[in-house]
Amino acid sequence: MTSARSFAALTLLAAIAAVVLFILHLGLGTVWIPPDRVILALLDRSTDPTDLTIVRELRLPRAILGLLVGCMLGLSGALLQVVMRNRLAEPGLTGVSTGGILAAVLFLAGTWGLPPPGRLLPFVVLLGALAGGILVLFASSARGRIDPLRLILTAVIVNAILGSLTAIVMLRSQQALGSILSWLIGSLNGRVWDDVWLALPWAAVGIPAGLLAARAANVLQLDDESGRALGLPLQPARVALFGLAVVLAAGAVSVSGAIAFVGLMAPNAARAIAGADARRVLPLAALIGCVLLLAADLVAQSLSIKPPIPSSAYRVGLPVGAVLAVFGAPLLIILLRRSIR
Amino acid sequence: MNDFEPIRLAQVSAGYGQRMVLDGLDLELKQGTITAIVGPNGSGKSTVIRAMARLLPTRSGVVLLDGQDIRSFGSRGIARLVSVLPQSPSSPPGLTVRELVELGRFPHTGLFGRLGAEGTLAVESALTLTGLSDFVERPLDELSGGERQRAWIALALAQGASTLLLDEPTTFLDVRHQFEVLDLVASLCTSRGMTVVMVLHDLVHAANYADRVVVVDSGRIVADGAPSAVLTVELMRTVFGVAAKIFTNPESGRMFCLPIGTGRS
Ligand SMILES: Nc1ncnc2c1ncn2[C@@H]1O[C@H](COP(=O)(O)OP(=O)(O)OP(=O)(O)O)[C@@H](O)[C@H]1O
Ligand SMILES: [Mg+2]
Repeated sequence: MTSARSFAALTLLAAIAAVVLFILHLGLGTVWIPPDRVILALLDRSTDPTDLTIVRELRLPRAILGLLVGCMLGLSGALLQVVMRNRLAEPGLTGVSTGGILAAVLFLAGTWGLPPPGRLLPFVVLLGALAGGILVLFASSARGRIDPLRLILTAVIVNAILGSLTAIVMLRSQQALGSILSWLIGSLNGRVWDDVWLALPWAAVGIPAGLLAARAANVLQLDDESGRALGLPLQPARVALFGLAVVLAAGAVSVSGAIAFVGLMAPNAARAIAGADARRVLPLAALIGCVLLLAADLVAQSLSIKPPIPSSAYRVGLPVGAVLAVFGAPLLIILLRRSIR
Repeated sequence: MNDFEPIRLAQVSAGYGQRMVLDGLDLELKQGTITAIVGPNGSGKSTVIRAMARLLPTRSGVVLLDGQDIRSFGSRGIARLVSVLPQSPSSPPGLTVRELVELGRFPHTGLFGRLGAEGTLAVESALTLTGLSDFVERPLDELSGGERQRAWIALALAQGASTLLLDEPTTFLDVRHQFEVLDLVASLCTSRGMTVVMVLHDLVHAANYADRVVVVDSGRIVADGAPSAVLTVELMRTVFGVAAKIFTNPESGRMFCLPIGTGRS
C-alpha cells in the first residue's frame, strides 16, 4: 500500500503523538501542570513536592494504564482479525468482556452491593475474562479444529448468552447496578499503582509475544492450503494467536472494564495505513491503540460531569469508554468508508 | 540424471472424511524431471499433490521424501524440500507482491523472521525469474490474473525447495504467459536440477513439456510413461470421452494428441 518511507514516517508520527498525549495527560486534572514541570517531575528533578506527588503518585498510574490498555486492545484486535479472517473482529469477540462483566456482576450481587472486600474486583474480572475466552475457544473447536467462521459465530453466541445472564443477575440484584456501570462502559477513573501491577504482567508477556506472532499471522492470512504448504501447523497457530488475543484483552478488561472501539478502530486504521503485512500492521495497531486511548481519556478527564445526586459535591470524570463510543464510532465509519473500496 | 527419488508414493490411499479418493497409488519421481499429471475434473489430481507434500495425511501406504517416511519430518522440514502451489491460492487484500514472495522464506527463518542474505537473494531471484521486478510494490488484488499467478510461482520459488508441485500453474494465463511459465519450469529443471510435478489440463502442453505423463482417473493411475506413449487416441476416448487425432510438433518433433470434439457429432 504505502511505501516503506511513508510507513516509517507515519509510525514515527504516531509514536510522537503518544508521547505528547502522555505528557498532556499527566498535566491535566484539578490543577493543570505545564509540560516542562511534568517532565521535571517524571525525571525526579522537580523541586516542588506537590508536583512530584501529583504527577508520580496520582496521575502516572492512570496515564501508564492508558498506554498499556490501548496497546493491548489494539494488538489484541489486530491478532483476532487475522485468526477470524474478518476486519470486524475486535477483542470483545473473544468473550473476555462479557465473561469479565458476568463475573463482576455475580461477585457484586453475592456481596449485596456492600463495598467489595479489599481490591478483589479486578481479580474477579480477570478470572471471568480469561474464562470467557477459554469458553469461546472450546465451544468453537470441533474435533480439535478451529475454523475462522465458526469461531466468530460461536463467539457471538457465547457473548449473547453471557450478556443475558449478566442482565438477569442485574435485574435480580439492582444494588450491583451502580458499581457495574463503569465496568460495562470502561473507565480509567481513579486508577492507582495497584491496577498497573495487575495489568503489567499480561502486557509484558502479551505484547512482545503478540508482535513476534507477525510471521505466523502473515502465513495464516493466506488460504489454508498455502499456509500448510509453507510449513505452518494451522490449528496450533490459530489457538496460539487466539490465546494471545485473549490474554491481552483480559489483562486490559481487568483494569479498565469493557472499553469498546479501540480494538476495532486501531487495527483497521493500521491496515488502511500499512496494508496487509502483519509485520507492520501489528506494531502499528498497538501504537494507534495507545494514541486513541490516551486521547480519549484526555477528553474524558476534561469533560467531567456533576452526578445528579443532591449531596454530591464532586465532579466526576466521564468514563473513557463513553468518549470512545461517542467520538470513536463516527471516526470508525469515516475510516471504513475511505479504506474499504 | 541420477536415480535419486525426491518423492515416492507406495500404495497410498487418501481421502476426505468418509470419502476415499486415492486408492493404492504407486508413483516415484525422478530427480530433475518434469512430470505432468492429467485427468478429468474430480479424478484426484490435486489430492495426489496434497498427499505428496503431506497437506493431506494418508490413510494407508507410505510417502517417502528423500527416501525417508514423510511422517518423520517436521512441517517446516517438508516445506524446505517441497514447494506447493495450490490450485486456488488466496492472499489478504493489500498484500504486495514482495510481501507475498517473502513469505516463501517462512520455513527458513527463525523467531524474529530476519530474511538474511540468502533469503534476500532467493526472493530477488524469484522475482527476477518470474519477470515481476516492476511489480514488487503492487498489491496482489490490483494485478491481472496472470501477473498474480506469476507472483504465486515466485513465492514457491523463493521457498528454495528442490521439488516443485504446481497445481494447474497455467490457468488464468494467456497463451504467451502460459509458454513463459512452462519455459521457466523447464529451465529450472535443466539449470537447477529441480524436480517438477505439474497438474495440467492442456494435453498439448503436457506433451510438449513433460518428460513423463501420469494419467489419473477415479483416484487411480491408468497410464504412466512418455507423453507419446501415453496420450493416445484410445486413452482420450476412454478417460476423457473425447475424439482426438495425433499430430507432430514440427518444432520439437514431439507427437501430440489433439482433442477434436466429443466424438458424438
Ligand atoms: N477438501 C475436500 N473435502 C472433501 N472432498 C474433497 C475435497 N477436495 C476434493 N474432494 C473430492 O475429492 C475428489 C478429487 O478431488 P481433486 O481436487 O483431487 O480433483 P482434481 O482431479 O484435482 O479435479 P480438478 O481438475 O477439478 O481440479 C473429488 O470428488 C472432490 O469432490
Ligand atoms: Mg484439482
